[in-house]
Amino acid sequence: MIKFILRRLLLTIPTFIALMFVTFIAIRLVPGDPVEVRTGEHGISPERLAYFRHELGLDQPVWKQFLDYVWHLLHGDFGVSLSSNEKVLTEFLTLFPATLELSFAGILFAVLLGIPAGVFAAVKRGSWFDHTLMGAAVAGFSMPIFWWGLLLIMLVSEGWHLTPVAGRIDMIKFYFEPTTGFMLIDSLLSDQKGAFLSALHHLVLPMIVLGTVPLAVIARMTRSSMLEVLSEDYVRTARAKGLSEFRVISLHALRNALIPVVTVVGLQVGGLLAGAVLTETIFSWPGVGKWLIDSIGRRDYPALQGGILLISSLVIIINLLVDLLYGAINPRIRHG
Amino acid sequence: MANAPAPVTVQPAGPFAAFWNAFSQNRGAVGGLIILLTIIVLAIFADWIAPYSAIEQFRGMTKLPPAWTDGGDKHFWLGTDALGRDMLSRLIYGARISLFIGLSVMSVSVVIGIALGLVAAFMGGVIDSVLMRIMDLIMSIPSLVLAILVVSILGPSLTNTIVAVSVVYLPNYVRLVRGSALAEFGKDYIIAAKVAGVGPIRLMFVTVLPNCLAPLIVQAALGVSNAILEAAALGFLGLGAQPPTPEWGAMLADAREFIRSNPWIVTLPGLAILVSVVSINLFGDGLRDALDPKLRRS
Repeated sequence: MIKFILRRLLLTIPTFIALMFVTFIAIRLVPGDPVEVRTGEHGISPERLAYFRHELGLDQPVWKQFLDYVWHLLHGDFGVSLSSNEKVLTEFLTLFPATLELSFAGILFAVLLGIPAGVFAAVKRGSWFDHTLMGAAVAGFSMPIFWWGLLLIMLVSEGWHLTPVAGRIDMIKFYFEPTTGFMLIDSLLSDQKGAFLSALHHLVLPMIVLGTVPLAVIARMTRSSMLEVLSEDYVRTARAKGLSEFRVISLHALRNALIPVVTVVGLQVGGLLAGAVLTETIFSWPGVGKWLIDSIGRRDYPALQGGILLISSLVIIINLLVDLLYGAINPRIRHG
Repeated sequence: MANAPAPVTVQPAGPFAAFWNAFSQNRGAVGGLIILLTIIVLAIFADWIAPYSAIEQFRGMTKLPPAWTDGGDKHFWLGTDALGRDMLSRLIYGARISLFIGLSVMSVSVVIGIALGLVAAFMGGVIDSVLMRIMDLIMSIPSLVLAILVVSILGPSLTNTIVAVSVVYLPNYVRLVRGSALAEFGKDYIIAAKVAGVGPIRLMFVTVLPNCLAPLIVQAALGVSNAILEAAALGFLGLGAQPPTPEWGAMLADAREFIRSNPWIVTLPGLAILVSVVSINLFGDGLRDALDPKLRRS
């Protein structure tokens, strides 16, 4: 097991180096003078240009610049945002809990609805419920979620006035200093009446929008995995023992059917972050996805570079953890 | 499917007939194919079918609702947008753009994917490792974030959207081709071909490749729908096709401010994206089941 972990960790190192290299190269490929791009100044005087070239290390050979860049990254220095003059890492960490809260809610929504729906469809194979669910699942993972979000805003927020259109909480009525960065928890801690409900209200639509594609994928996966398991011998044995149908399905079948489903949930992480970019943009949710898009609009390249690096590193680390977890659960992967 | 025993027919069905027999039993897939063909016809013959040009602005006819509702105009069947352009015409021309993006992305990533996948499988060693690490890297960056990175370097345009989305989907094909090629390697016919003195290029493309095609075709079909979605998302974020191009995602972005006042301007382009993506996915699912029952995943 230790050998497996070590090998998997070693394989990640070249990926990280390549990632740093790509983000390093990327900012160089941006059209325009690198000094103008980085300082955000146009028509700069030659003296200032020389000063900045030296200041930014651009007068050094490229390999040395890259090593410098890596050195800074390893010390947690991801550069300074042009628009806010704040450290990119600080900005990222302030906004990240919002994205995390939204992603958690989205995946929770998908799992809590998707698994029971998939199990039920498998048990009632060929019924109208099964057909409807599978039809809905195809529509679900074909969904352009940015449109789905607008549609829900149109119906639920504008039409029925049930939920707010944007943001994480009613900023006019409630204000408190963030302690955890998770609005649901902070609003509870703040002891302000109605704050938690307001936060929950704001979360519902973005959660549904972000959770729709994973929901469709999980429901489909659970159904097919359940169908496979239900025809196994041990399920027949459990039935033959005279166990109730509920026990057979929920204890004997579901536990084994869930292994591939867990894999699929793990694979959704990258997609979830991509979905968060769109969801946050639609609902003005102040997370890292919206920040990234806003950075493009402001031509804030250090923020873009650091943001992409941080988000991708996160996905690499999560994928690594998921892999290690499977290795622990399933010895076949470990030795594969 | 071709090697399945067919007790009813005396003559064994040809590969295409066998495929069609399996495919046509899937009602969803046939439905998807019919819708897809309709969209393709609309896209190809847009110049004749669309009542107006996609960018012609009719003064005084802005934000008309669809013809069958109150205030609609029978000349503008699905209404007009904020600049007085005919919605129906824009949607029809949009089909051309979306299909073009989907097919271009698919062709580019399939061709490069086959080349890199075969090279990785045949060369092995350092080249294989380096290629696969690069593919791992591409896959570790969330698709949309990677596309955003590429577009922010190259600048937003239709061509760059195609480049960006092709990069995003390249690893799928490289891994698939490499995997199926490696699986074929140990088989007798490859050894026989080598013994017969077949050169490496011929071995790659003529001997091995045809045997890896079934999963590749399925992946390519589903790749078209993913590419359409991804490109529409970029368009929506303002990083894809630029105005006045009638790209569905960009149309949605323009329409955002009219959620309250003119819901149909928001509803129609999204519906067009959904319908085309659903039809391609249904078709792709059918293709998968018909080409190779072993590929059935979910």
